Amino acid sequence: MPSFFNSWLPFIYLYVVGGIFFLLGMVLIRRVKGIDMRQKKHRFWWKVMIFGYFYFMIIHALLIIAALYW
Amino acid sequence: MEKFHNIGTTTDWIVMLVYFLLVMLFGSYFGRYNRSTQDFFFGGRRFSWWLIAFSIVATGVGSHSFIKYSAMGFQHGLSSSMTYLNDWFFVPFFLFGWLPIIVYTKIRSIPEYFEKRFSPSARFLATILLVLYMVGYIGIGFLTLGKAAQPLLPEHFTLFGQTFDITLMGIIIVIAIITGFYITFGGQTAVIFTDLLQGFILLFAGILLFVLGLDYLGGFKVFWDLLPVELKLPLAQFNEPPSFNFVGIFWQDGIAGSVGFLFMNMGLIMRFMATKSVDEGRKAATFNILAMLPISAIVVSNAGWIGKAVSIAQPEVVPPSIVPDQVFVVIANLVSHPGVFGFIMAALTAALMSTVDTLINATAAIYINDIHRPIKKYIGKKVTITEKENDRKELFAARIASIAITTLGVLSVLIFEKFPTVYEAHGFFHSTLTPPLVVAIFLGIFWKKFTPAAVMATFIGGVALMILGNYYPAALISPFDHGTEMDLKHPYTYIRALYNLFVCSFVGVIVTVTTVYQKRIVEILRSKRNHLQIFYLLNSVSVAIFISIVFNLFPLTILLPLAVVLIIFASISISYVVKYDPTNNTEGLTAWSIAKAKELFKGRPINDREGKKIKVNWKLKDGDDNTINFSENDMRTMAAESGDLVYISDARGYLGGLKSVHAEYGAPHNENGIVYINKEQKLTGLFVEGRPLSAEKEM
Repeated sequence: MPSFFNSWLPFIYLYVVGGIFFLLGMVLIRRVKGIDMRQKKHRFWWKVMIFGYFYFMIIHALLIIAALYW
Repeated sequence: MEKFHNIGTTTDWIVMLVYFLLVMLFGSYFGRYNRSTQDFFFGGRRFSWWLIAFSIVATGVGSHSFIKYSAMGFQHGLSSSMTYLNDWFFVPFFLFGWLPIIVYTKIRSIPEYFEKRFSPSARFLATILLVLYMVGYIGIGFLTLGKAAQPLLPEHFTLFGQTFDITLMGIIIVIAIITGFYITFGGQTAVIFTDLLQGFILLFAGILLFVLGLDYLGGFKVFWDLLPVELKLPLAQFNEPPSFNFVGIFWQDGIAGSVGFLFMNMGLIMRFMATKSVDEGRKAATFNILAMLPISAIVVSNAGWIGKAVSIAQPEVVPPSIVPDQVFVVIANLVSHPGVFGFIMAALTAALMSTVDTLINATAAIYINDIHRPIKKYIGKKVTITEKENDRKELFAARIASIAITTLGVLSVLIFEKFPTVYEAHGFFHSTLTPPLVVAIFLGIFWKKFTPAAVMATFIGGVALMILGNYYPAALISPFDHGTEMDLKHPYTYIRALYNLFVCSFVGVIVTVTTVYQKRIVEILRSKRNHLQIFYLLNSVSVAIFISIVFNLFPLTILLPLAVVLIIFASISISYVVKYDPTNNTEGLTAWSIAKAKELFKGRPINDREGKKIKVNWKLKDGDDNTINFSENDMRTMAAESGDLVYISDARGYLGGLKSVHAEYGAPHNENGIVYINKEQKLTGLFVEGRPLSAEKEM
C-alpha cells in the first residue's frame, strides 16, 4: 500500500495549490468585471467554472479510492 | 534496452498510405475556402463551437502525444494521465480574461498584443521567445513522429548495392517534407476540417486499441488485477523519481504548461479566434477541457497501461526492458490484426501531423504579422499595389515561411533527442521556454500597473536568471525542489519550472513597484547634457553582462549580482526610451477594461439585450452598402438595432458555420423573413441560392 505521501498528498497539493490559482482567477474576473453577473449567460458560466473544479476533484478522488481499495 | 524494427505487414502499410492520401485530399478540398490571409490563418472567424472543440482534439492529443504518454503509462501507470486533468485552474483567467481580449482587440498574434499593450521593443522580444517556443513545439512533434515510425521500418535498406542506415533524423526529414507540403497548400480552414475528421477517428482508434488490449488480456478485471497499486494511482508519487514526479510535473505542466497552452499556444488560440463569437470560443474551450481531455488521456496512454499488464503476465512477449518510446507501436501491433494496426498507426500519426501543421501555420502567422509586415513598414517601401495583390504576396510569403519554420523544427530535434524519452524532452522544453512569456502575458492582462520596463526586464532579467539556474541548479533551483532528487545528467527537468516562474514573476513585480524610482533616475539622466551617451553606456554594459551570463564567464558569486545590475540597467533604459501612456496602453487591453474592448470592437455602444436566433431567406441587393437589412419584426425578435453586429450563416447546422458572414445591421424594411445582402457578402459567406440562412445578433 503506497504511503499517504504518495497517494493523498499529491491530491491535496493539486487542489489546494491549484485551487489558490483557481480562486484567484474567480475573484479577479469578478473584480475586473470581466464576468457580469447581471447577464444570464455569465451566471451560467460562473456555475460551469465552479462545477469544473469539483468535477476534476471528484474524478481524481474516485480514481485514488479505486486504486487503493478496489 | 530492447529495440524493435520492421513491425507491421504490407497490409498495414497500404492502409496507412491510403489513409494519409484521403486526409490530404480532404484537407485540400477545404483549402479552396481560403480567400485571403485572414482565412488562411484564422479561418475567417465563423465556426461553431462544436466544430472547433472536436478539431482541437487532434491538436491536444497530438501535442500531448500517444508515444510519450504510452511510454509514461508503461513506466508509471495511470498517473501518465495527470497532465490531461490539471488544466482547469486557469480556465476563469482564460474565458473571461484573455479570450475576450484577443478577440475584441482584433490582434492577429501575441507579439502584436505586446506592442499595443507595451511597446514595439516588447513585441520584438516576445516574437523571438514565441517563435522559439513554437519551433520547439514543432521539433517535439517531429521527434515523436520519428519515434513512432522507427519501429515500423527496417534498420537499414539496400539501394543499387549500397546499404543505407535508416536513422531517426532521416525519418524526421522525410516526415517534415510531407508535413510541410500539406500545410503550405492548405491553410487554417483546411487544418480545422482535417483535424475535425481526425479528432473523431482518433478517439475511435484510441478506444479501439484499449478494447483490443483488454480483450487480449482477458478483460478489465484481469488488467486491473495485474497492475500493482502504485501504478493504478492517478497522480504520480509526490517527489520521486526525478524523471517523473507529481510536484515537478504540477509546476511544469499544471501551471506553466496550462497557462502556456491556453495563453500562448498560437495554434490553439487561432482555433478559438476562428469561432464565430467569444461565447462560442468559451464553449469550445470548456467542452474540450471537461469532456475531450479526460477521454484523450485514455486514448493516448492506454497502450502503455496494457503494455505494463502484458509485461507482467507475459514478459517474453513484452520485455520489461523495452525502450519506453516504442511501447505504443509494439502494443498496437500485438493486440490488433494486420490492417487494424495500420489504421491505428495512421490515425494517431496523422493526428500528430495535424498538430505540427497547426503549429507551422500559427508560426507562419507570427512571421507575417510580427516580422514581415513590421519590416516592410520599417523599410517604408512605397509601391502602390492593390489590397488583393498585397494579400496574394503575403500568402506566398506565408507559404515560404512555413517551409523555413519546418526546417527549423527539424533542426531543433537535435536538442531534444538527447533526452531519454520524448516526455522528458517536452517537460524540459515547457519548463524552460514558457515562463518568461507566461508571466509577461499574465501580468500584462491582469495588472494595469505592469509597465514596458517591467515586461522587458522580465524577458531580459528573467531569462538571465533562468540561464543561471540552468548552470547552477544545485545552488539556485534546489531551494524550490520540494525534496526532489537532482539528476546530474538532466537536473530538475520539471521543478525548474517553479524556479523559472518565480524569478520571472519576481523581476516583473519588483520592476513594476519601483517604477517611480526609475522615473526619477530617468529625469536625472535627461537633465544631464550627455544623457544619450549615458544611455548607450547602460545598454552596452547590459549586453556585456547578458553575454557573460549566457556563456557563464564568471563564477555564480559574480554573475548573480551582475544579473541584478542587468535588471536595473534594462529597466532604466526602457523607461528612458519608451513612450508609455498608462491610460491609452491599457484601455481595452487588460482584463480591467474588457467592456471598453468590446465597445472598441463594435465601434459604438454595446447592445446586450438578449434576442432570439431567426431563420430567413436571402435576396441580393445592389450597391456597395456593407450593411444587411432585415425586417423591423425580425430585428425586434433578435433584439437588434441598426448599427449592431449580426452573424448570418447557412441554416444547415451541421456545416458548423463554414458558410457564414459577419456584418452590421442596416436600416430595416417591411418584408418579414427576408434579409438583403450584397454580392461580396454572398461570396464571402459562400451562400447557396435557395438555401435559407439563420441570423443572430452578435452584440
